[in-house]
This record gives sequence, C-alpha cells and structure tokens, in this order.
Amino acid sequence: MEAFDYILSISKVVLILVGVIQVVPIMIYVERKVAALIQDRPGPNRVGPLGLFQPIADAVKFLFKEDPIPLNTNRFLYTLAPFLSLLPACLVIAALPIADKAILFGREIYIQITDLDVSLIYILAIGSLGVYGILFGGWASNNKYSLIGSLRSASQMVSYELPLGLAVVGTVMVYGTFSLREMVLQQEGTFLGFLPNWGIFYQPLGFLVFLVASFAETNRLPFDLPETEAELVAGFHTEYGSMKFATFFMAEYMNLATMAGLMTVMYFGGWHLPWVKDSQLLEWLGSQNLLCIVQIITYIVKVAFFLFLYVLIRWTLPRFRFDQLMELSWGSLIPLGLINILLSAVIMYFTGGKV
Amino acid sequence: MENLIALAVLFAVALLLCGAILAITQILGPKNPVPERLGTYECGVKPEGNPRIPFKSSFYLIAVLFLLFDVEAAFFLPWALVYRDSISAGPELLWALLVYLGLMAVGLFYILRKKILKLN
Repeated sequence: MEAFDYILSISKVVLILVGVIQVVPIMIYVERKVAALIQDRPGPNRVGPLGLFQPIADAVKFLFKEDPIPLNTNRFLYTLAPFLSLLPACLVIAALPIADKAILFGREIYIQITDLDVSLIYILAIGSLGVYGILFGGWASNNKYSLIGSLRSASQMVSYELPLGLAVVGTVMVYGTFSLREMVLQQEGTFLGFLPNWGIFYQPLGFLVFLVASFAETNRLPFDLPETEAELVAGFHTEYGSMKFATFFMAEYMNLATMAGLMTVMYFGGWHLPWVKDSQLLEWLGSQNLLCIVQIITYIVKVAFFLFLYVLIRWTLPRFRFDQLMELSWGSLIPLGLINILLSAVIMYFTGGKV
Repeated sequence: MENLIALAVLFAVALLLCGAILAITQILGPKNPVPERLGTYECGVKPEGNPRIPFKSSFYLIAVLFLLFDVEAAFFLPWALVYRDSISAGPELLWALLVYLGLMAVGLFYILRKKILKLN
C-alpha cells in the first residue's frame, strides 16, 4: 500500500463516519416534530426557524452540563459503559455499501469503508457487542432500577438476536454470499417482469422477522423495555448525566441507522433505483461520478424511509409487557425464522437455485 | 489486508471520537459535587438495602438458552452459503437441513412447553 491508499482510507472513514453521525441530530429533530404532530402540539419551535437548531442547542447543553460520578458506583465500569455502547455503533458502519464506485484521480473508489467478504457476520457480531455497554451501565450504577433495566435489556437483546440471525440466513441462501456489496449487485433489474429485483420479493417472511427483531435490538418502542420510564425511572441510564447520557442516545440512533441501512441493502436493493439497470442509467447520465451521486441519494432516501417508519411506529404503538416480549421472540419469531429457512430451501430446490 | 487496515483506521477514529466526546464534558462542565448529587437516585426516596438485589433465575436460563440456540443458528450460516450452488448436485444438503431443523424444532418445542420464559 502506498501513502495515497492510507490517505484515501482515512478520508473515507472520516467522511462516512461524520455522515452517519449526522443521523443523530436529524433524527432528534424529526422524532420531536413527529411526536408533536401526532400529539397535536407545536413541538420544538423556539431555536432557529421551525426549531431547526434545537438539536444543536441540545448538544451544547449536554456538553456544558456537570458530569458527576455518583459515589457508590463502580467508577471504572460506570465510565466504560457509554464508551462500550457508542464504539460498536461506530464500528458497524464499516461494512455498509453506500454506493457502487466513483472515479477520482484515475482510480476506482468504492463508496464503502471496507468490502469484507463476511460483512454480514461482521455487522451482526460487532452490533451485538452493544449489549455490554447496557449491562455494565446498569450494573455499575448500583441502583435497583438500573439493575432491573439492564437485566431486562440483556435478555431482550440476546433473545432478539436469534430471529435476526435466522432472518439473515434466508438472504444468504438466496444470494449465496456474505458480502453486502455482492448482494446489492445481484439486486439489479426486474423480477418476474414487473417487480424491482429486490430481496423483499424473495424473502418476504424473512424481512418481516428482521424488521420486528431490529426494533427490539435497537431498544425502540414498542420494545423499549430497558427504559420503561413509567416503571423503572429511566432504566439502565438512570444514574447517567450530561454527555454520558447523550452517548447512549447517539448509540441508539446510530444503531437505528445501521439497521435501516442493512434492511435497505438486503431487502430493498441498496443503491439501485427500482427497475432501472445501472448500465442504462450510466448511459443516460454519461458519467460514473454522476451515477455515484444518484446512487448515494437513492440509498439515503431508502434509509430515511426506514428511519421515518421507526419514528412513526414509536409514537403509534404502546409498549409490550416483558413476558409478552419474550413470548414474541421465542414463541413466534424464532419458529417463523426457522419456517422461513425451510420454505426458502424447499422452494429454491424445486426452482433450481432461484426462489 | 487492505480491508483490515481500513478497519483499523476506523477503529482508531471511532476510539478517538468516543474518547473526545466523553472527555470534553469533563473539561467544559462545571464542578460542584454536592452530596445529594452524588447519591443514588431512586425517585428521591432514600435507597434501602443492597442495590444488588437477587433476581429471577429465568434471566440466567434465557442466557443459557441463547448460548445454545445461537451456536445452533451459527451453523446455518456456512450451510446457507453453499446451498444455492449445491442444488444442481442433488438433495443431500436439503436432507441435512431437514434433519437439523427437526432437532432444533424439538429443542424449541421443549423449552416452550416447559414455560421457562413465563417470568411471572
């Protein structure tokens, strides 16, 4: 590797990481505005036009707040916990393919931090490390509410990791690869003549299981049992203040963006426009870089759609009870995931490799 | 190799970012530790007893079950990778799946019948 490759690598990492972090302020604003819309009140409207600068004001306030460490906590784990929940959230974005490639300085540059051939397993593996942050945070706080919240959270996250993993198996079967880039490349064109050639039409049941499990994995309502502000004060982050508290939320929103990105890539054709082939689009646009920009915009629109869906569902559905949550995972989603694998295998066998 | 270098770069940048975010409030924020602020917050009531309360053993069982099922689910992944290309060679991998799924379904059926997940 030359110096150029290192510079390229670093600039790609910084650009994509900064881009993904922008999801956090945007989501905070959208979430508060949509909540206000649904509850028939104005929402943030004081800071800047339409309250658009509210996230900035929030961030500044978090930064300038006192950051006390309560006396009877386990200081080391207490400080480590927010760190451990944000770090995996930053790391998982490495494997998401945002667009195909751009040509800069006479080189082909893939718009993806790294194209691992096991990127799907990488995302699942690193993503599940986030549970340590929550578990440590709850245990180290030395607070009964935090402890109960973190226990619930840990059992919830491990229970929903299974359906997530099983849903992914179906996609791997259809595309025969773990590389997300390869998957997107295979989703070009049309399916049966009139549908876009997207994963959701091959794996509808798998997508449903993945969608539900992804809500629970990111601790969103209707599955936000770790927090349940009505019964546990605030769950595992009761004792946290200032930026440490904000870190947990940054991690949550970034995980949300990753999940939305993963769904886009696996089930909704990634950077592809529906029906249109890339080679055709390239002919119309006439330049690879222009095509790359169109692809990035397509990807962002699809991800934004899923993020909006998360927000809508959060403010529409009530919360589950804890035993209902466990029943849903072990009694419904895991069997559904297994059935999905069985059905895909049988159908693929009789159609000779294509579902 | 290049992939791993990109990952290492990302790891370094992410580490720096997380460290910076958490360090910056320590520097910017005021410091006025009063006893009330440093105590445990349990809705303003004075905390009673040991906060490390005993909890239901079901949580432990769920962790053990997760370990078992996650290992089982992990075995699907290499199988899924080669399945599509093996179809033309005959139904061996389909039979293998049916046997394996059957065993897994029996295990799942057993824990659902035992009502281990009924937490109350």
